[in-house]
Amino acid sequence: MNLGLRALLYTARKWKKTLLVFCLILSISTLVLSGLAIADAQEEQTEEVRGTTGASFTVQRDISTGGWSSGSGGSYSTQEFMTEDMIREIASVDGIQGYDASLITLPQIFNADGESLEHENYGFYNYGSYNSQYHELFLSGRFELVEGTHITDDMSNGIMISKELAEWNGLKVGDTLTGIYYPENNTPAVDMEIVGIFDVVADKEDQVNMYDDSSYYDYSSYVFCSMEAAEGLIKGWGEDGDGISEAYFYVTDAAQLDNVIKDVQNISSINWNNYTITSNDEVYQNISSALSDTGTLITTLIVVITVVSMVLITLILFMSVRSRKRETGILLAVGIAKPAVVLQYLLETLLIAVPAFPLAYVCSRQVAGTLGTLFGKTAENVIVTPEHFMSVTIAGGILLIMAVLLSGIPTMRLKPRQILSQME
Amino acid sequence: MNLCKRAFLYSIRKKGKTFTLLAFLLVMATLMLTCFSIQSATETANANIKKALLGYFTINGKQLEGGITEEVREQILGIDGLSGRYTLRSYSYAEYCDAQGNPLAINTEEAAQIPEGYEHAGKIVANSNSQDDSYFTEGGFELTQGEPITTEGGNQVLIHEKFAQRNGLSVGDTMLLKDVEGKNRTIPVTVAGIFTNTKEQDSIGIAPSYDLYDNIVFTDLSTAASLLYGTEDGASVQYGDFYVDNPDELERIMDEVKDIPGVAWEDCTLTRYDNDYQNAKESLEGLQNIVFIAIAVVSVICFLVLALFLTLRLRGRIHETGIYLAMGISKGSVLLQYLLEVVLVAAIALVISFGTSTVISHQIGSSLLSQVTSETYETVDLTGENEAAEEPAEDLNLSEIEVAVSGRDYAMVWGFGMVLCVASTALAAYPIMKMKPKSILSQMS
Repeated sequence: MNLGLRALLYTARKWKKTLLVFCLILSISTLVLSGLAIADAQEEQTEEVRGTTGASFTVQRDISTGGWSSGSGGSYSTQEFMTEDMIREIASVDGIQGYDASLITLPQIFNADGESLEHENYGFYNYGSYNSQYHELFLSGRFELVEGTHITDDMSNGIMISKELAEWNGLKVGDTLTGIYYPENNTPAVDMEIVGIFDVVADKEDQVNMYDDSSYYDYSSYVFCSMEAAEGLIKGWGEDGDGISEAYFYVTDAAQLDNVIKDVQNISSINWNNYTITSNDEVYQNISSALSDTGTLITTLIVVITVVSMVLITLILFMSVRSRKRETGILLAVGIAKPAVVLQYLLETLLIAVPAFPLAYVCSRQVAGTLGTLFGKTAENVIVTPEHFMSVTIAGGILLIMAVLLSGIPTMRLKPRQILSQME
Repeated sequence: MNLCKRAFLYSIRKKGKTFTLLAFLLVMATLMLTCFSIQSATETANANIKKALLGYFTINGKQLEGGITEEVREQILGIDGLSGRYTLRSYSYAEYCDAQGNPLAINTEEAAQIPEGYEHAGKIVANSNSQDDSYFTEGGFELTQGEPITTEGGNQVLIHEKFAQRNGLSVGDTMLLKDVEGKNRTIPVTVAGIFTNTKEQDSIGIAPSYDLYDNIVFTDLSTAASLLYGTEDGASVQYGDFYVDNPDELERIMDEVKDIPGVAWEDCTLTRYDNDYQNAKESLEGLQNIVFIAIAVVSVICFLVLALFLTLRLRGRIHETGIYLAMGISKGSVLLQYLLEVVLVAAIALVISFGTSTVISHQIGSSLLSQVTSETYETVDLTGENEAAEEPAEDLNLSEIEVAVSGRDYAMVWGFGMVLCVASTALAAYPIMKMKPKSILSQMS
């Protein structure tokens, strides 16, 4: 009888025992597979957390390398402004999630009937914006969009107003407003459609903000309009000193901020002598150590699980081979070579493992699926990939062979007679 | 021979098998305990993240008669859930005079208007720590000489470089601050430092004289309180920013603040600032869920493996069972003997596992800890040659992450472990016990 047949017969004859070992190998490899998937999900989740910290960099015209001139409002820098092409080019760099820039105008705003809008002191403070959701006032939570949508870079004449302004003037999303910046300088009237209404969360009475010109305007008088509309408002004004002087770029992964900035600096069409880059990732810096602790802990957990699983598999095989001492003795006594006996045991184990591993793959995918329905979005990240399966199969296979060989050693070193006389 | 003795003798005789069982149970128990200790450690780490996202609320008590008093502040700080980090602020206006009482010159050239009575006056900014003031953190102010103002007392001021030049003042000189409302409050102060602005003021042409950067003076809270409220001691302030441990609790804490008696809360504005947390909230919960998923999977599969293992072990003893039964030992006592063997070994394994898991947990903890320290000292040069917004790493007062086996978890593993050992042994023995000794023995190969 050749050893292949012997292994097959043993496996079939002792089907209950085979089934038990099979179940053990199955559950342990399911555990390891799920663990690997969880470790990957953890990394993805950590990346997501890093993405929510709003890490950004600011590109600003460098006033120190530009010239100066003076006009009616005092001296001003003649350094070149940022162009739309330049901003879009930077925004297209990999790893940038969104961007915004501000072109500030102080227009008068009229409703569809040509009446000036009711407002608080001074007038309106208008931010021309590409993507207002990335505007500092919204990101910091001082303003909150309550109706409609944000200004996006594909809008040509959108405008967002405050809730108070809408209430005082009976305005709603979809209404048209007309803005004129400097009627005496013949700047054109620009028609804009209200796309969104925001609520002021911050406390404007708090004097902490008092250091720039916007702070002299009431929050209810702040408006945001599309960049194109803002450019329309200043058209024909002629005088220097108005343009985009800084733009903000938000990155997808705070940990990559460094690299993204390097990529941006490599854009050759921009004269970096005239612009500076400042990074801002304070929130990420604050949480990064605690966040990486969480990551390390989860990874450790998975490592512990994997190591323990390996130990368990070894123990089980060790036990199963050892309980066959008597059989080994008999096999040797009937003249079967030692290597053939070990090979038979190996073959039996592999016979069990070959269906167990693929089944574990199926099982763990099932587990991940069940978790998906239990935990929703999070668990969707827990995906068992074919790579996981490959590594578990290879490592598991090697481990099984090693375990059988090692547990066979003590028995194999003895003579059949010694083995049999040792038995009770 | 009673069953206890039999169980004991069996365990001794089959050293190999007993040892394998012991090793198996020990590994399982250690795994579970380590998992639990890691889980509680991630909870701490998660709480740290929440804390580091710096949720806070601001009390605007500008309209309050007498401001926010020290007594009220102490009551606020006594509320459960505050991290203990807070910033107090006051703003006022004052006329500047030299030590002899002669008015000092302010920058009037760039002012949009100079209100009457403010010809020699400027804005007074008082902060718990002048370096934390938004003029310094966001407005681009930098201290060029002297020290920042930190203490609440001390009658000190920081003045602008240009203001110092214009009036020939330097660090250590004395000047007077007079209130502008004619209440005859005059406070002598010492110049503790001189600052400059790195960014141009963009409101030149709109700003009234007192808001110009040159005319701003930073001082301590008690000096501002003397100007504002005329109080000698117990500095009252206009604004307070109070940071919380868990931004989820902001709502509750703010409600508790409003319950503090003796304050006209209807005149105050309380604003919550937790945007960073709200942004990260969902992803953070996801991270916490992942840990939970991992623990759940480990627990379930561990129990499964343990049950399978014990079944496998017992099946190897069918022959023995048959002989016992043939010898006339009752089924109950045979079962009891098996249970006793497992329980005996399980007890030893559980006792040792406390030691092993503590060692492993400690190892994990110390490797994590060293990581944290190395990160603190590693200065990240983010922008290379660019102007970097260099800020010293803030001390957020985060809790130390401790990976340790808690008594509760240990008790739980004991309980579940024992129940599982007994249950799976009993279940595995059930089919064998159902048979007659004769059929058992004839079934053997």
